[in-house]
Amino acid sequence: MAQPLVKKDDDRDDEADYSPFLGIEKGAVLQEARVFNDPQLDPRRCSQVITKLLYLLNQGETFTKTEATEVFFSVTKLFQSRDIGLRRMVYLMIKELSPSADEVIIVTSSLMKDMTSKTDMYRANAIRVLCRITEGTLLTQIERYLKQAIVDKNPVVASAALVSGIHLLQTNPEIVKRWSNEVQEAVQSRAALVQFHALGLLHQRSKGVHGHSNLQIRQNDRLAVSKLVTSLTRGTVRSPLAQCLLIRYTSQVIRESAASTQAGDRPFYDFLEGCLRHKAEMVIFEAARAITELSGVTTRELTPAITVLQLFLSSSKPVLRFAAVRTLNKVAMTHPMAVTNCNIDMESLISDQNRSIATLAITTLLKTGNESSVDRLMKQITNFMSDIADEFKIVVVEAIRSLCLKFPLKYRSLMNFLSNILREEGGFEYKKAIIDSIVILIRDIPEAKESGLLHLCEFIEDCEFTYLSTQILHFLGIEGPKTSDPSKYIRYIYNRVHLENATVRASAVSTLAKFGAMVDSLKPRIFVLLRRCLFDSDDEVRDRATLYLNTLGGDGSVVETDKDVKDFLFGSLDLPLVNLETSLKNYEPSEEPFDINSVPREIKAQPLAEKKGPSKKPAGLAALPTAPATTVDAYEKLLSSIPEFVDFGKLFKSSAPVELTEAETEYSVNVVKHIFDSHIVFQYNCTNTIPEQLLEHVTVIVEASEAEEFSQVVSKPVSSLPYDTPGQIFMAFEKLEGVPAVGKFSNMLRFTVKEVDPSTGEAEEDGVEDEYQLEDLEVVAADYMLKVGVSNFRNAWESMGADCERVDEYGLGPRESLAAAVSAVINLLGMQPCEGTEVVPSNSRSHTCLLSGVYMGNVRVLVRIAFGIDGPKDVAMKLAVRSEDESVSDAIHEIVASG
Amino acid sequence: MLLALLISNSVGNILVERYQGVPTEERLHWRSFLVKLGADNLKGAKNEELLVASHKSVYIVYTVLGDVSVYVVGKDEYDELALAEVIFVITSTIKDVCGKPPSERLFLDKYGKICLCLDEVVWTGILENTDKERIKRLIRLKPPTEFN
Repeated sequence: MAQPLVKKDDDRDDEADYSPFLGIEKGAVLQEARVFNDPQLDPRRCSQVITKLLYLLNQGETFTKTEATEVFFSVTKLFQSRDIGLRRMVYLMIKELSPSADEVIIVTSSLMKDMTSKTDMYRANAIRVLCRITEGTLLTQIERYLKQAIVDKNPVVASAALVSGIHLLQTNPEIVKRWSNEVQEAVQSRAALVQFHALGLLHQRSKGVHGHSNLQIRQNDRLAVSKLVTSLTRGTVRSPLAQCLLIRYTSQVIRESAASTQAGDRPFYDFLEGCLRHKAEMVIFEAARAITELSGVTTRELTPAITVLQLFLSSSKPVLRFAAVRTLNKVAMTHPMAVTNCNIDMESLISDQNRSIATLAITTLLKTGNESSVDRLMKQITNFMSDIADEFKIVVVEAIRSLCLKFPLKYRSLMNFLSNILREEGGFEYKKAIIDSIVILIRDIPEAKESGLLHLCEFIEDCEFTYLSTQILHFLGIEGPKTSDPSKYIRYIYNRVHLENATVRASAVSTLAKFGAMVDSLKPRIFVLLRRCLFDSDDEVRDRATLYLNTLGGDGSVVETDKDVKDFLFGSLDLPLVNLETSLKNYEPSEEPFDINSVPREIKAQPLAEKKGPSKKPAGLAALPTAPATTVDAYEKLLSSIPEFVDFGKLFKSSAPVELTEAETEYSVNVVKHIFDSHIVFQYNCTNTIPEQLLEHVTVIVEASEAEEFSQVVSKPVSSLPYDTPGQIFMAFEKLEGVPAVGKFSNMLRFTVKEVDPSTGEAEEDGVEDEYQLEDLEVVAADYMLKVGVSNFRNAWESMGADCERVDEYGLGPRESLAAAVSAVINLLGMQPCEGTEVVPSNSRSHTCLLSGVYMGNVRVLVRIAFGIDGPKDVAMKLAVRSEDESVSDAIHEIVASG
Repeated sequence: MLLALLISNSVGNILVERYQGVPTEERLHWRSFLVKLGADNLKGAKNEELLVASHKSVYIVYTVLGDVSVYVVGKDEYDELALAEVIFVITSTIKDVCGKPPSERLFLDKYGKICLCLDEVVWTGILENTDKERIKRLIRLKPPTEFN
């Protein structure tokens, strides 16, 4: 809350310094708001109360639902007042309160009246309020007025409608799309702001292609855009803001027409270049940026833009310096040579007071600098590093890394710089960035290895981050033994065994062992050190020491380590870890030891390319009977070939495909639900039915807001979906093991669409992001039940016995018919009806239904239901469940009870 | 999109805070980030001297006016230059309403009027009006002069 400040203000006495809102309190203000209900309204007083309410809201104060409703209702009373100032306040207040859908109805009539009022300003404000608080059906009712408003003579009214349009694009794009003609007219408006807003609306619309758009419309759109840009670039644009939008729009047209006009001059380049001489800085920058971002821009095209940007580097305004250096920094990534002319101006920015500017200048210089300037640059940066935040430092470190790789001869001064900053204070991310850089330099520049390793050794002597210490120890173990004098690293490593926590100690033991295994002459001394580790307080450290001592062999003498031992201890594990984990989990303790060779090595990337030959199924999965390949088998094969799903265990059930799109839509999608013990995998089968489109990076955005027991763990998009070639997207969710969690998921297909020339079959380079709404998907209790029948129900029932039987009675309420009730219950449970009991003879008053199935966890379940119906079609049933597990019997009752 | 407009007093207490397209849970983060940015950099800044920063793909332009600090945050087309334009409209309107760079007390005295002005300047994350004379008329529900 804002507190009154005791200030030594010049022209005010102390008393007046108190805030008019001093001691303001929500409850009291809400009380005051009752004046809105007075039959004789006092506009001044009402305005004051609204101001207080606004102050509270702007302070982050929130109103409860009841409070908000009450205030809202009383505010609506103020429409009776004819006071202009108060009316303006009321408009603002309603927007701020953003009433709920059921409350909106109270003001709509007042607002609709204002919207058709003769007073222009009522119209403008009513439009803004209505578009803010209403949606859907009401919008279609007022659409006619909105369209009229766009071309209203009063620019404020037109702007209000256009800005509302931009706002509505996010929620109701279809409506806004119908305003094309009016918006086109508004673009030609003589009022500067109307033109700006109209262009804004067009630009926004062309950027975000929403929902069910199809190719045809977009092609037309593009033509229209191109035409519009042509006419505007020749005509009058009335404000710098609008001019900027036009430049953005133009670059879009240039990008999209790039493919078709290979030869000759770039369209509109002259327009962009002309804008570089505009009097508004904003426009100059926009044009310069547009030019630097042209694809395949030539030096000739680039030069004028770089020249104006260079001038701004020495501007007195920080915003302009920032904008210039930011743009040049971007250019330096792709065209470093074009920026070198600016280096002198850039160097003076290193001492800029604004750290954002200084950092951008330095990183630009690091990209454009030449070998001879490196040393000078490093000196300047060293002074600079001490007073910037970590986030800026990381940027600098990354730039230095790439500089060093560019000029390997300069490694000495760059490595020194890195090791110096490594010693200074800094957070984890910053230190990690430095370590990563040193490691990369050691790997790529052989001369830098020894000094780099020593810097790392010194760092771990005083490193507070366990993660970094273990990473460095591991790296030392690989690189250290290969150096000319490995013994000098031992001290640093063994110090860790004394001084650090258990995790680091264990890493140090492994690193020591690596030195022992690789450097025979060091072996005796390493053995002495490893033996000392046998008395460590931590079992992992002791275990490692024991393992190494026993396997390295030689009993501490100078002998060569056996190659097999080296491979065993330090060789890379050429097995996918997931596969190993699955195999280990599925290994049951027995006489036969675990055989690592039984772990499958292959990870099939493309599941659908079915390979003939020996089965690659993970060994852990129970062997399936060699039945003819069923759909379930095919699914199981498919899923087990995807590494992410290997450790989900055995597939319990795959549902029949559920259609998520209607027939004959642009994209056809159905989904199969695969149920595992503690996971569920959705397999979306997608087909693109438009020959002129290639979809890329296709994924499904699944919203599980109505399925709280599930959390998404894996998402496997499809990289490319050409016409008429089905592709599969997988989404995996985790749930509690053995729990029949249910819920509703909403699905949105998201992809990049590229147009394909039907004659050549070639796709354009640039694509547009798009989305496509799919139907919701439900996971229901029946998904956890396999339909498995029995040949003789009575025998099965008797032999199951009554041990785990559960019986209860349920009222189903009024139903259409007995048959409808029976079929509803069968569907709810998802079980197999036996002996034709799913059929209910007509006019029967009672019926017995026999069901059989296998419940999640492979538990056999039998169900016997006796239905009865009375006069007013009220159905009741007696449900008897038998299974091998009483908790499952209970679960079935629960399904029925909650269904 | 203009993501945020924030006005604070000289010690960082919030006077006005408006967000658009910023999830509620991130607002507090933005508030403290901006206030800290101001505390670090606005000391000694001249009235209406614009300062600039960027944070990921978002731009921030901020300034001091009398006893209040004004921050605007934007992304995409609302880059540092567009934000400079927005903040110029805001400061000149506030000066107009208050008659001078305001003390905190003066700002709060004119609070209701300032809220109306801000409502005319920025609406649903879009710059709507840029001329202070016009804004002055609009908050009294008078049509702009060029139209009359």
